[in-house]
Amino acid sequence: MIRSFLSRYHPRYIRSLVYMLQASEYDVRDYLKWYHRTKDFTHVERRKSLVKTGKVLLLLGMAWIVLLLLYGAAIFLWWQSDALFASLLGLILLLLTPFLLAYLIVIPLGIIRFFIQLPVEYFLLRRTQQELATHKAVKIAIAGSFGKTSMREILKTVLSQGKKVAAPPESFNTPLGIRKFVNGLAGNEEVLIFELGEYYPGDVAALCRLVNPQWGVITGVNEAHLEKFKSVDAAAKTIFELADWLGAQPLYINGESNLAQKNARPGDLIYSRSGVGEWKVEDAKSDLTGTSFVLIKGNTTFQLHSGLLGLHQVGPLAAAVDIASRLGLSAQEIERGVAATKPFAHRLEPRTDQSGAVTLDDSYNGNPDGVKAVIEFLASLKDHRRFYVTPGLVEMGRRSEAIHREIGKQLAAAHIEKVVLIKNSVTSWVAEGLREVHYDGEIIWFDDGLSAFAALPHLTVKGDIVLLQNDWPDQYA
Amino acid sequence: MKKTIAVIFGGRSAEHDVSIITAHTPIIESLLASGQFDVWPVYIAKDGSWYADKQMNDLEFFKHPDFESRLLRQKKVQLLFDRGLKIIWPGMMQKTVHIDVAFPAMHGTFGEDGSLMGLLRMAGVPFVGCDLFASAVSMDKMLTKHVLAAEGIPVVPYVWFTKYDWEKDKKIWLEKITALQRPLFVKPVHLGSSIAIAKVKNDTELENAIEVAFHYDDKVLVEESVENLIEVTLPIIGNDEPQLAAIEKPRSKTGFFDYTEKYLSGGKKGGGGVNNEYSEIPANIGEDLTKLVLDLGKKTYLTLGCSGIARVDFLIDGSSHRVYVNEVNTLPGSLYVHNWKRAGVSGVELVTKLVTLAEERFKSQQETIYTFSSDILSKSGGSKMGE
Repeated sequence: MIRSFLSRYHPRYIRSLVYMLQASEYDVRDYLKWYHRTKDFTHVERRKSLVKTGKVLLLLGMAWIVLLLLYGAAIFLWWQSDALFASLLGLILLLLTPFLLAYLIVIPLGIIRFFIQLPVEYFLLRRTQQELATHKAVKIAIAGSFGKTSMREILKTVLSQGKKVAAPPESFNTPLGIRKFVNGLAGNEEVLIFELGEYYPGDVAALCRLVNPQWGVITGVNEAHLEKFKSVDAAAKTIFELADWLGAQPLYINGESNLAQKNARPGDLIYSRSGVGEWKVEDAKSDLTGTSFVLIKGNTTFQLHSGLLGLHQVGPLAAAVDIASRLGLSAQEIERGVAATKPFAHRLEPRTDQSGAVTLDDSYNGNPDGVKAVIEFLASLKDHRRFYVTPGLVEMGRRSEAIHREIGKQLAAAHIEKVVLIKNSVTSWVAEGLREVHYDGEIIWFDDGLSAFAALPHLTVKGDIVLLQNDWPDQYA
Repeated sequence: MKKTIAVIFGGRSAEHDVSIITAHTPIIESLLASGQFDVWPVYIAKDGSWYADKQMNDLEFFKHPDFESRLLRQKKVQLLFDRGLKIIWPGMMQKTVHIDVAFPAMHGTFGEDGSLMGLLRMAGVPFVGCDLFASAVSMDKMLTKHVLAAEGIPVVPYVWFTKYDWEKDKKIWLEKITALQRPLFVKPVHLGSSIAIAKVKNDTELENAIEVAFHYDDKVLVEESVENLIEVTLPIIGNDEPQLAAIEKPRSKTGFFDYTEKYLSGGKKGGGGVNNEYSEIPANIGEDLTKLVLDLGKKTYLTLGCSGIARVDFLIDGSSHRVYVNEVNTLPGSLYVHNWKRAGVSGVELVTKLVTLAEERFKSQQETIYTFSSDILSKSGGSKMGE
């Protein structure tokens, strides 16, 4: 208690505040939520550390000036005035300075945002909108609570076999990210693929106005970002702003996401591990070497194999095949395209260490549907000792306890041998879920992710499978 | 409650640095990963001073360019034998830690050779690995051969002599060596990690190799080289019922394992200091040879009275398929954890099993009666005893 109070007077306090603003992408709401939740400000930079950009240096400089001014004023009042009231005021100001600073620090941020960032963004986005409106490429937009990046990469890989395709790298799914991407276009692209990120109502509609898509894919709706949306219905409504924009133009919807399918309109194309449209999936199999299935429509049959892991990948692959087929790719190009798909960075990405243990890095997958799919995949891997390592999922809002208990139950039902939990505010619910259904494996606890990662090579042997599920950024500490 | 465990490493040995690697990867890292132990790293410097500081749980401490001066700032620790082993940091604010189990991680002299085990026996603390007698015999390649040969375990023909013998009259020994079939190996009898071992083909090379070996030891072994050599090794753990790992065959470039090949040849990601890439696990030597090696390995382990952990090295003549026990290593570098992992035993499982074995052996020793009451003192002092 005293230690956490004193941590506000630690020289590192200002750096911690600025770091968290940067980690929250300067979202004041997220920053303030973190501030109100945090008790100890001395050990904030755990997973990452402050990157000294121009903005950060400006904020650090201003914060120190404000801090010194406040302390100066407090000391002046305390020592220079004979009046008891003024001395008392000085003392109170001295004590409150760190608290005031935490709020005052966002003022320059607001000034920068309203007077510099927003006008520049407005100008840049207008230009992006005009350039994309005249670009002849087919524009495909992907929206959803989860699976957008995987869908983008699948589409990009498959369609690239017969078309000139471009898609923003990494998670360039904000307006400025898209601007950066459009800047680099050659102009002769035949297909452009965009991820539409959603944090608040209206986000997807705004991005649709910017991108002007003719095709759409909705990868699913779930509790991701629930803290911001407050309800899953609000998230669904925001994601389906893409459907509103497209009208009668083709929209693919992931049929394995109940919340997405519930909002589908007649005429939308539902994809799942059973097929898409008239395409039917047969003989789907998945193991550590990849996923294979047969796709049949009338007289056309594709024997497909992808390097992606898990049967939940069959639906998105089938959707990509249908889109490729409609865009005129040949059978050979489609088969080659699917064969070229392989696990993406940190999304069920396998690597084998020297002792022969296989790590499946799924650290970018932090949503309940993704978790369910992965546990299903782990359950299908027999004759291996399986380790499931997780710090839990973030931003699950009021559903957090229920979701984490459910994960525990799913892990128990899949008979995962070892569940490795990182201590934080949610993992005790996973443990409770496991115990509730009399889990017969072992629960291993670690204080933080780094100590778990250091210990894992010493816990595993040849043939073991270690699944790393999700990451736990510092702002959720 | 967590058990307090002291991992003892370093020491006055040519294998001082190898010991630091073994202590950290895998021993300390695995003990910490298990979450069951309060791990105290106990470092014995090359001058014999003892230190203990939790900072030393991190291998980086020893790699730091400023290591020597950082060490000088450390307080030397003292040992107290008081119903077990205690570590004491002396001074105004004296601190004492009671050790539940000791985990020796020392290679070579003053550690693996039984010296440390003697000290730990005197202290009355359970300790991991072979006891004093097995350690002392296994450290001496000549004694090992004597004991094994007496039990009918095949060893390569050899000649041994001391530095005194050699300096007194080289000719006698060179003549005795002529009875051996060349090429030959020259080995200091007490060193491990293949330090100062040389393969020689003529008299000049032989004399030079003997001189070099005497720089490291006062006893030297000259033995026949096994040609068409297949070199294999077998890690073993256990007390009375040994558990065998997989037979391992080195992919040797130089004809036999030398220090560089074992510890330095691209083993960065080896997860254990020893280079995984240099071995074939399990060794593809055929069913008959595999069975023979496993049988001889187990017999050797039990004959020498090994307990906890050891590794038995073999030489196989690829033409005649004759198998010889070459030597026994009572603290295999990095515990050969890479091999155990292939056998389905993780680093954590290996170290916790070794701790359990240490406690079992200690318990069994506690049940042995070493002292008894007698009236011999009261009767002494008068007429001569025995009269």
